[in-house]
Formats: sequence, C-alpha cells, structure tokens
Amino acid sequence: MVLFELDPRTKLILTLLSAALIIMSTRWYGSAITLGLLGLIIVYIRAGRDFGRWLRLVLPMTAFWFALVWWSADYTTAITAGLRLLALTSVFFVFFHTTTPEDLGNALVQSGLPYTWAFVISAALQVVPIFSRKAQHIIDAQRSRGIPLEPGFAALRHYPALLTPLLIQSFQLADDLAEALEARGFGRAGRTFWRDYRLRRRDWLVLATASAVCVGLVVFPWL
Amino acid sequence: MIELHHVHYRYTQTGGWILSDINLEIHPGEYVLLCGASGSGKSTLCRTFNGLIPHFHGGVLEGHVLVAGRDTRTLAVNDLFAQVGMVFQNPEAQLFQRTVERELAFGLENLGLPRASIHARIAASAATVGITDLLPRSPQQLSGGERQLVAIASILALQPQVLVLDEPFAHLDAPNVRRVQAALRTIHRQGMAIILTEHRLQHALPDADRLVVMQQGRIVLDGRPRAVLQADPRRFGMHIPPVVQVAHTLALPEMPLTVEELLGMVDSEESSRQKAAVDVVSGGLGRTIGGLQKIEPMRWTQPGHLHHPPTTTAPPTVLTLEKVSFLRDRLAILRNVSLEVHAGECLAIVGANGAGKTTLIKHLNGLYRPTQGRVWTMGQATHRARVSDLARQVGLAFQNANDQFFTFQVWDEIAVGAHALRCYDEAWLQHLIALLHLEPLCQRSPYRLSEGEKKRVAVASALASRPTILVLDEPTAGQDWNARQALGDLLHSLRSQGQTIILVTHDLDFAEAHAQRWVVLAAGEIVTTGTPWEVMANARVMCQAGLEPTQLFQIHSAMSRGQMVQAEREE
Repeated sequence: MVLFELDPRTKLILTLLSAALIIMSTRWYGSAITLGLLGLIIVYIRAGRDFGRWLRLVLPMTAFWFALVWWSADYTTAITAGLRLLALTSVFFVFFHTTTPEDLGNALVQSGLPYTWAFVISAALQVVPIFSRKAQHIIDAQRSRGIPLEPGFAALRHYPALLTPLLIQSFQLADDLAEALEARGFGRAGRTFWRDYRLRRRDWLVLATASAVCVGLVVFPWL
Repeated sequence: MIELHHVHYRYTQTGGWILSDINLEIHPGEYVLLCGASGSGKSTLCRTFNGLIPHFHGGVLEGHVLVAGRDTRTLAVNDLFAQVGMVFQNPEAQLFQRTVERELAFGLENLGLPRASIHARIAASAATVGITDLLPRSPQQLSGGERQLVAIASILALQPQVLVLDEPFAHLDAPNVRRVQAALRTIHRQGMAIILTEHRLQHALPDADRLVVMQQGRIVLDGRPRAVLQADPRRFGMHIPPVVQVAHTLALPEMPLTVEELLGMVDSEESSRQKAAVDVVSGGLGRTIGGLQKIEPMRWTQPGHLHHPPTTTAPPTVLTLEKVSFLRDRLAILRNVSLEVHAGECLAIVGANGAGKTTLIKHLNGLYRPTQGRVWTMGQATHRARVSDLARQVGLAFQNANDQFFTFQVWDEIAVGAHALRCYDEAWLQHLIALLHLEPLCQRSPYRLSEGEKKRVAVASALASRPTILVLDEPTAGQDWNARQALGDLLHSLRSQGQTIILVTHDLDFAEAHAQRWVVLAAGEIVTTGTPWEVMANARVMCQAGLEPTQLFQIHSAMSRGQMVQAEREE
C-alpha cells in the first residue's frame, strides 16, 4: 500500500499537517470526518486489533477530557473536544504503526540530522520494554520476601526497593550497551546506510496535494 | 594474528593487577578455549584483543598487544572491531535494533560498506549461523538461544579474522548449546579463529584445538586440550568434565574429551579395568562430582531413603498443585499441572528455557494466580491468600540476585524481608549467617560481592523468615565451579536439617547431584517425574523436554548396558 511505501519524512509531514488541521477545526464534524477516514485506513492496513488495544488506553482519557469540558463549557463543545482528542491521537497511532523509529531516524539523518541523535531516539524506544521487564522482575523478587510493592499506598513507602535495583541495573545496562556499540564500530566516520531514503515523485505529489488541501481548508473554512 | 607480550593490566591507577605478565600468541584459524574461575581475568584478557582495553576502559596497560603486527595502543577500537569481533555475555545489551536484519546491518553500515555488499553479507552470515528465518523478527521476541545466535551473526557479518566470545553458553539449555556449537564449528571450518571463554569446559572442549587455563590474572596452562587435561587443571581451581575425572581415576594414558571417546578407550582395556571404571562412576565419583561428599553412593539407586529411612507414615504434604493452568495473552504457559511436594524432600523442576518453570514457581507464593485449578501452600489456597502471608511459608530466591539488593549492608539485606513480614528473629539470622559463611561479609555492600557471594546472600534473605519451603530459581546460572560447590554444600546442610527445597534449573549435573526427585516440564506440561536416573533413562521424554542426560549418567548407562550388567546388579 502507498502509505507504507511513502518516505518516512513524507509520512511525518502528513501527520503533522493533519494534526494541525484537527486542532484548528472548530466544528465537531471536522474531527468526525477525519476519524472516519482514519478508521478506513486502519481497516485497510489490518491494524484493527492493535487499535482496539490502544483505544482501551485512550478512551478513559478521552472520557475524562469530555467530562471536564462539559463541566466547564457545554455539551457540544465537549463533543467537539472529545472527538478532536480522539482524532489527534489516532493520527499518531497510524503514523507509528506504519513507521519504525529507525526508519524515521535514518531518513532524517539523510536530511542532515546527526546520526547519534537518531540512534539515541530509536535506542531509547527499544529500551522501554527491557526496563518494564526488569521492573517486573524486581517487583516479583521483592514481593516474594514480603516487601509490599503491589500497586497501592504501601508501595510508596517502599519505593527504594524498586528504584534502587532498577537504577543500578540501568547504569550497568548503559555501560554494557556502550561497550557493545563501541565493539561494533559505533561513531566511526563514513557510515553508510543499508536502505536509501529518497523523496520520490509520489512523495512530492502527495505532499503537494496535502498542502493544497490544507490551504483550501484554511482559506475556505466551511468545515 | 594476535600477540601479547608481557601484558599487565589494572582498571585503576592503584588497584591490584587483573592481568599479570600475559604472553600469548593466537594463530590464524585456531579454536582456543580460555577458561578459569570467575575473577581469573579471562573476560578482561578478551577486552585487550580488540582494544576496548585500554581505549574504552582506561586503566593501566603495560606490555604490548599486537593485532596483525600493529600495537593496539596506536589503533582505535573503530580500526580493530572488524578484525577482532567480540560477542559479549549479556545478549540484552548487545541487541538494540528493531529487527534482526537491522542488527546484522548495524556494524556493516558503520564499516561504510556499499549497500549491495551489506545485503550480501547479511544473507551469508545469517545462512552460516542458521537464522535466515529470523531476519524480519524483533530481537526482543526471540529466545535466549536465538538471541545468542543473532549476536554471533551480527559480528560474523563483519568477517573478522578472530571471533571472541565471552561465555556464550552461560544461559543456554541443551538444544541451544547444540545450535551455538554447530554454528561455531561451521565458522571455524571456514577458517576463522575462535577464542571462547567458559568456566565449564564440556561444551566447547570437543571442538577446541587449544586450551588455555587462567588463574588470578596469569596463564597457568596452555596447550593441546588433551595435554592440558593430562596435567590436571583441577589444582588451579578448574572443574574438569566427568569423563576426564574418570580417565584420571583410571590413569588412562590419553585423555578423552567426550563420553564416546572414553567408552572407546575403556572398551579396549581388559575387563577388570572396565569394572573399575563402573565402580568409579557409580561409587567414588558419584560422591565427589556433585559436592555431596557425605552422602552414600547408594543414593543413586535408592534416592529418597537417605534422610528419611523407610517408615510407615509418609511425610506430610506441604504443597499441592491441582490441575493448574495459566494463560497469558491467551497463550497457555502452564497446562494441567498437578504436583505434590512432601516435607523434607529436595525436588528439582527441570526443563528447557521457556518450558514454564519460572511461571510455575511464581504460583507457589501467589505472585501468579492460576487461571484454572488450585494451588495449596501449607493448606492455604493461594488464590485467596496475600503474597506477604504466603512469603512466610515459601522463600523464593530468583535467578538474578541484583533484582533485590537495595540496602547498603549485607546484614540489612538479609533482615529487611523478615522485618517486612514481622517475623524478625535475631538468633535465627545469626544462625543463618553462620550456616552460609556470611560472617565476614555482613558489613559489606551487597553490590560489591562476587557472583557466588551474591547468590548466598539472596538465599539467606529467602530463608530469613524461616520458610517451610525454599525455592531456588536457576541457582547455578553464572556461578563458577567453587560457587557451585559452596551452593551444593549449603543445600546438603539445609537438607540434613529437614528443609524442603525446590530447585528450578536446566543444569542437570547440579539437579542430579542434589535432588531426589525430578519433575520434567516441557511446553508447560509435566511430562514425567521420577528419580534423576529414572528420568534420564527415558530417552523419548528427555528429547521431548529438550534435555540431555548428564555425562555421569551416560557413562554409567553405557557401561552397565555392556557386560557389566551382572556386576552392576550384584552391587
């Protein structure tokens, strides 16, 4: 599908443009139409299940936001605000679902971003699951000897039992990682990239169309 | 290829030398097995080969390290990494890309290769190691063995002249050990030199063509494996595989490296020697190999009758699992597991990585609740009890002791659990500390201990609440021979005091020496239980569970299968 084959930078610009449009739209149907379009895309790229799982995280947040706006303003504003938040987060869901951080990072490197920056971004994302796994191991180990680290107020009093081992292990991991990177030539001058990121004709076409739509919507704001 | 002349090294300006007066020459195409106890300096030595020492670690380096004739001092790691490739011990910290394919590409990109040759090298390296089907997967989702292979492939792609591996078998089970062995054999055949560190010899010994033994920063033995084994490296604190121990006891003229070789040598001798060999295996060696000096050799044939002479009343049941199933993300991790554990027994739950062993023991103190079925710990149903209540009955020590240390003194670390459980008993802790020989460590920081000492502190903290059941998860992982012996002695004294112990391990040598009963777990199911030798005699089940019989058992069963059957029965 075209969405997959577009350059990561094109996808980034499209995402940012859509986000800007959603934020600027003042009527509820603006966000509703966007959500409908995103729904079609999500069905098309078969990301339904992931989207469902992710909605479970976002919906409570949306509900809270909706209630807050309803309380401070009125019902229609609340609906618009809720839909807007949902549409905004969904745009980013589609972006991250179709683009890996490495692809984005490497593409940006070819546009001039220093490679170390791009690496730090993608490595940081890789490390998140490792840390959540480590934290779980630590919680299990401490609970096994009676230190109550299950979610709750008691855990607050015992937080050093979780944070100290986690911190020390993260230093260790950072050390090991730095050494492993060094041993694989990280930071050597003259790096090449196994994949080429080039803005092709269709990237320019998509970008031009998207800009036209944006300008149109700003100049003729019926929506 | 690599030459070291009078190399001394220390990490700080003032500390003691970690390496002293190392002279070593590695030739192209050699397969060198570098061994020694923890702290003997073998990992440090490896880091001098590719310039990580001194360029990355700093410290004081004296003498000369030459790679392809050039002093590493004058080169950067960036110049050396493609000549001397290094695979580290911790796979987690080596794999940092989203896919295996990118992982393999990473070093090649740094090398500045053109795109076409990057692709060609990824394909070739993946094929050699046998991971072509893993290329699109994420390293995070792979098993430990697969990650080790990916780490090897990512270095192999650089086409170094020397491949250095730091304890590649440390955390692998039998099927994965075989995969890594096979990959290394292929790489070696292609002409690459291999340097591999290990503190257990038996995995790499058959393939290596040179054995180097280190002790306290010095090279103490160096030569052909058979010659070095003949010189008996036991005096340098090294463990030698059971086959070699048998050969030493028999004073065989040549040292065997595998069970098959040993059997071949013994077969050609006269029959009295064979009988002697069987005696050695079933008698004397049985007592010394596992560190269980005080236990009678007869325990192999009649385990369970050692500390509990046959009585009419069976010991009480302390733990019952009743048709336990456990699902995670709709995946069955445990299926229909039923098990009873009796007071005073030492039970081993054995199985390959990922068989569900750790998941199973997390049910014993309520960390996990069964999706179906029931767990009863000392008559208490775990699905209704709190973890902190169950923790007083079940002392659990997990594999990685660093997961629990957060105080600054060993004493506090041991006492903190007892305080939290409100069962602090100073006299008991003093007794425990004496039992585990921790007196000299009490005031030290737990983070500054050796791996073996850390493990003993973790066991002490699991015992602090005087639990009825002690559960040890992979107690021997990352432990060298001396630490294993100490752990074995500890288990022995705990058992003689009637402590119920559950070992969880894929280390069958250890489980054979210390457990009376094995429960074999494969893909979340109990496939068999029995005495160690009953289980190992069942070749079909062993294969299904991804386990390999111990050398001791292989020797014993091969010999008794022959003309020794009769003699064995008389015994």
